[in-house]
Parts: sequence; C-alpha cells; structure tokens
Amino acid sequence: MKARMLAAHVALPVLAIAVVNGQARAADFDWMKFKGKTVTFLANNNPVAQALLTYKADFEKLTGMTLKVDGYQEQQMRQRLVTVMNASSDEIDAFMTLPSREGEQFAAAGWYGDLTAMAKNEVAKDYDPNGLSQALLKAATFNGKLTSMPMNIEGPILYYRTDVFKKCGLEAPKTIKDVEAAAEKIKACDSAVTPFVSRGLKPAVAYTFSNMLHNIGGTYIANGKSNLCSTKGKETLETYSRLLRDFGPPGVVNYSFQQISALYRSGRAAMAFESSNELRTVMEGGARLKDTGLLPFPEGEAGQVPTTIGWGMAVSSHSKRPEAAWYFVQWATSPEVQKKMALQGIAPPRPSVAKDPEYRRWIDEEPVRKEWQAALDVLATKGSSEVGYPIVANPESREFIGQAVQDLILKQKPIEQACADADKALDALIAQK
Amino acid sequence: MSDTAATLTQDRQKLEMAALSAPAVIFTVGMIAFPVVYTIWLGFQTFSSTGKQSFAGLANYSKLVADYEFWHGLWVTIALYVLSLALQLLFGVWLALVLFHAKRLPGVVRSLFISPFMMPPVVAGMMWLVILDPSLGAANYILQALGLPPSDWLASPTWVIPTVALIDSWQWTPYVALIVLGGLQSLPPSVYEAAQIDGASPFKTFQRITLPLLLPTIVTAAILRSVDLLRFFDIIYITTQGGPGNASNTLNIYGFRVGFEFFNIGYASALMLTLTAIVFGAVLAFNRLRGAVAW
Repeated sequence: MKARMLAAHVALPVLAIAVVNGQARAADFDWMKFKGKTVTFLANNNPVAQALLTYKADFEKLTGMTLKVDGYQEQQMRQRLVTVMNASSDEIDAFMTLPSREGEQFAAAGWYGDLTAMAKNEVAKDYDPNGLSQALLKAATFNGKLTSMPMNIEGPILYYRTDVFKKCGLEAPKTIKDVEAAAEKIKACDSAVTPFVSRGLKPAVAYTFSNMLHNIGGTYIANGKSNLCSTKGKETLETYSRLLRDFGPPGVVNYSFQQISALYRSGRAAMAFESSNELRTVMEGGARLKDTGLLPFPEGEAGQVPTTIGWGMAVSSHSKRPEAAWYFVQWATSPEVQKKMALQGIAPPRPSVAKDPEYRRWIDEEPVRKEWQAALDVLATKGSSEVGYPIVANPESREFIGQAVQDLILKQKPIEQACADADKALDALIAQK
Repeated sequence: MSDTAATLTQDRQKLEMAALSAPAVIFTVGMIAFPVVYTIWLGFQTFSSTGKQSFAGLANYSKLVADYEFWHGLWVTIALYVLSLALQLLFGVWLALVLFHAKRLPGVVRSLFISPFMMPPVVAGMMWLVILDPSLGAANYILQALGLPPSDWLASPTWVIPTVALIDSWQWTPYVALIVLGGLQSLPPSVYEAAQIDGASPFKTFQRITLPLLLPTIVTAAILRSVDLLRFFDIIYITTQGGPGNASNTLNIYGFRVGFEFFNIGYASALMLTLTAIVFGAVLAFNRLRGAVAW
C-alpha cells in the first residue's frame, strides 16, 4: 500500500512533467529546422515504398530538405546496405528494414541508430508515437533501443475463390484440416484450377511456414535446440509440404509472392496462402474482385497465431545527419502519410488510421476489402512476429527451414532425415554468437 | 653531341616517360591489385553474424575442404560449364557457317541472330522464367499442343542444369558464332580453291580444312566463354537462386549468399579466391591448347 502511495506521489508528477515537457517540445517543433539539407533514403522497391514515395514532393515542400532515393529490389537493397555499413559509410541516412528478419543481426552489428530519445523529444504535435502498433514497436526494440518506426502491418493470409468453393460444395475453411480436405475436393471437382498454392522457394518458405507451425502449436527452439523433429515440427513439415506437393502447381519449389499472385490473379488457383500486401496485385484488372474471400490462415491445434510483421524505417548509425533523417522517418510514419498510404492498400500500423472515416469508406467500397481489414485486425491482435528462428543468424535459419520443406516436396528425403538434417544445421546456427 | 650528353638526354627522356605514365600505371595497378589483396586478406578473417571480425588463419580454407556445399557447388559449376561450353561451341560454329553462307540480306540475318547476346542477362533470365513457368509458361503449352508431356524445367532437380545451360546457350551462342565468323572470313581462299580443284566434298573440306584452320579461333572463343561460364551468376540468380534445393547452387551463387545474405565475408572471400584460381587454371589450360593448335 505504501509502495502504491509512493508511486502515486512520485510517479504521477514525473509523468505530468514529462507530458508537459513533451507538449512544450512538440510546440517548439519546426519541420523547417533542417531546410537545405539532403537526406539519402535506401528504399526497398516494394508496394510500401512505392506508395510512400508518391508523396516525396510533399516531404520536400514541408521540410525544405532534399530527399535522395536509392531504390532497389529487396535482396539488392540488403546487399547495398551490407556493403555501406561494413564500410562504416555515411552514404545512407535512412533505410527500410524488416525487424523480424534482420533486426537481431543489424542491432547486434550496431547498424541501427537509436531512435528512443528522438521519438520522445523531437516529435511534431500530431505525430503520436504511441498511436503506432505497440507489438511492432516492441518487435523493433532491441536491448531497450528503439531501432525503427513501423511503416505498415502485414502477414500471410488465405485468399480463396468463393465461386470455386460454391461450385464444389465447400464452406470457407475453419481449420488446417479443412484446407487440406477442401484442396482434395477441389482437385476432384475442378481440374482446371490448382487447389492450393503457397511459398515453395527455399528462402521464402519461412514466412508462411511459421504461421502454420505456430497454429499447429510447434516452436522453433526448445531447450536451446532446434525443434523441427518434434512431433509438432514434423506434423507442420509434412502438412505444409504435402499441401504443396499434392495440391500445388508444378514447379512450386520456385514459387514466391510474384508467382503466387500471378497464378491466383489469372484464376488458376483456388486457394493462395500469401501476404496481405499482395491484395493490390491480386486485384489488378478486377477479375478477382468479386470472387475472392479472405481469411487469416485457419486454426490448428494451438488455435490461430498469425504471422504479423511490418517494414520499419530506420536511421543509419553512420549517418552524419541523424536528426534530419529522423525528420524523414517521422514524416514517413506520421498519421497523415500513413492514411494516404492506407488508401493505396498499404495496411496502416496505426489503429487510429484504420478507424479513420475516409479509410473506412474506402474499405466499405468492396466486400473483399472488408474481409482484408478483418483479417488484418486478427493479425494485429493475435500475431506473432517470429518468422524463422529468433536468433542473430535468422536469415540463414530460413534457408534450412526451406531446405527441409523442399526435400519433402521433391521427395528427396524421408521426414526423419529431412528434419534431422535441418535440426543439425540449425543447432550450429543457434550455437553461433 | 658527346656520348655522355646523349646518354643524359636518353635518361631524361626515360624519366619523363616514366613520370608521365606513372599515374596511369599506379591507378591501374591499384584498381586491380587492391581488391585482390584485400580479398586475400579477408579470406584469413572470420566474421560473426553480427559482423565482428577476427583473424582466422587458414580456418576458412580448412572449412572449405570439409564443406559439402562447396564440393557440391564445384560439381554444379563444372557440370554447367562443360554442358554450356559444348553446346555453345557446337552451335556457335554451325551458326557461323550459316551466317557465312547467308546470301540474302546478310546484314539483317546477322543482326537478327546475334540479338540475344545484346540482351541484358537479367532481362533474358526474366523472359525465360516466364516462358518456362510450368503452369503459365509457353514452353509447356507448346509441348502439350504437340502431345508431349509437360516438364518442370527450372523446378526439377534433374532438369535444372540442362535448362539453365540451354538458356545461357540461347544467349551466348551468337557471341561464339560472331567470333568464329570473324575467323571464317580471314581464312585464305587459295586453300579452298586447291581443295575444289582436287575434288574434295563440302564435308571433307569442312573436316580437313575449315575446322583445323578455325581451331585457334574456336579456342579463343572457348577461353572467353570459360571465364564467364565458371563465374555463372546472373541467370541462375534470377531464375532459381540456386534451387530447387541446391541443385543449381554454383560456387559463385554459394559464395554470394554466404557473403551478402549470411554476412560471412571471410568465408565468402575464401570461396571466391578458390573460384578465381579455378578460372585461372582453365584459362591457362586453354592458352596452352591455343599454342598447340596455332598455325
């Protein structure tokens, strides 16, 4: 009781002072503070950056700064980043990052600038850092350091063809077993469509596989060791690979999001387990607008634990203009910009934007958008950002998950050997410091 | 002018020449030597996943000897090299003969045939990725229209190497043909006139005259293609990224992934230096062969 009273007497005034200070600082905030400076932004040329950069001129007008964009495809962007960071170069001020993939690694290497203080003290009145998804902010915090600000929220969801399901007498799947049963029935009922498609390309598998593993109740690591050969691990490996081998398209081992979206959009797949970000691509041309249903991936024995990640905007630790770069990060992740991006189909990492009337009107225009938002709401509330092993060598861990899945799809190894080989390699990665 | 004065003038001229060419020489040596020396140095370092660096001695090289992926990568590299080079030399010589004897619109025909190698490999890779897609691609559509079974092409561990070799050959055979065509055009007409007088058949003329005389040119083309083929990267990176599984994981792709995706720059350097040594070995072997077939 005493402790509670002490807390009330000491903590509340401190909090009040902090709020007043914050308000005072917000009042002092001047977007033109770095007028004339140039900020270099290393961008991944994906739909998130494309939508953001539509408003590049607005940033330059607001701040008087010049925004130099260095844009690449995802892999090439990382290679450029690795080269620049290893050389301790100040060429890049701000960059896009995927905390669920490289967060541990980049944080341990010291490549992220610390945004903790700037996100508290150097903010515009309407920025509202606390309005951003707390789960994503947590996923971007390493050893107490905030390393990036969330740009979007995304995760794999199930796109399914309502017309094919109706024709084959099927209901929307509620469990993983329903997905497999539906695939079986569609295979017999409509030979013109691929019953199920998901990622089969080795480095890309972990994104969708993790969702299934978590739904089934598996874990990547148990007692400090890789856990793919556990009962749940093997069940996931077998289910995922069986779905792709028996019901997937030929050549599925080379499938990532581009191939999956193209197959589904062309009407040649009945179910596609793919990123929520692909909605815009899948709906291009409008052919799938009226015959698509969307769901978070159906539940397994552990219920529904969707994979939820988001691109983040970070400031380079080698930047000579970290404050100017922070202004860019702040603008890019502000409520106003995120609302504009949301209207282009980039799911906002701010609940307030998701509730905005203009955004809601856009959502209400099409039933498929409503289902998309409903699926995103589940991702936001129940999601896990664990994609691959939660270790520094996360990108490498994804290779071995993908290898085990491919070994099973191609029937190159029996399950015992595929998971044992993967566990052996992954144990070595876990042991790495 | 006395001898001493002449010697002094000569020395001065030499000095001036050395001074004038020094910047270019230093720049060139620096540009070539620095990356090589730096890579050698990196090969003796180890980098943790977080980029922390320490001296490793020969650890990267002993790891390489025991690394299954290295030996597999070497096998894939050599298989792809032998198959692609054989296809490109065979069809390159054939195409050169066709172009040499083309009488109608030779300029147009040549431009048309050599166009694939003007295409950036990334574009060629993307184009073939679409054509060979097992579900949506034109290749399987044509096969099925002809009553043949479809293939998984780049998604089949069995067919991925022949398929990649075919894509590369589609692109680079015209390049070989262009080199061989140059050789054909420089052959002495008198030899052919003598063969014609002696009544040699076209096949015998090709076998006994054209081919032996063309050998130095063919070996030159083989050297140029060997350097590229042993460092095979772009088309594989675009089409398969080394897959399915590791069926097309060449040494170059493997080294790239180790360095830029897993951040183990030290081990990647050791892999790349080993690959460089293999490329040098192949070039030296072909150079000797060229000396042996020169006329």
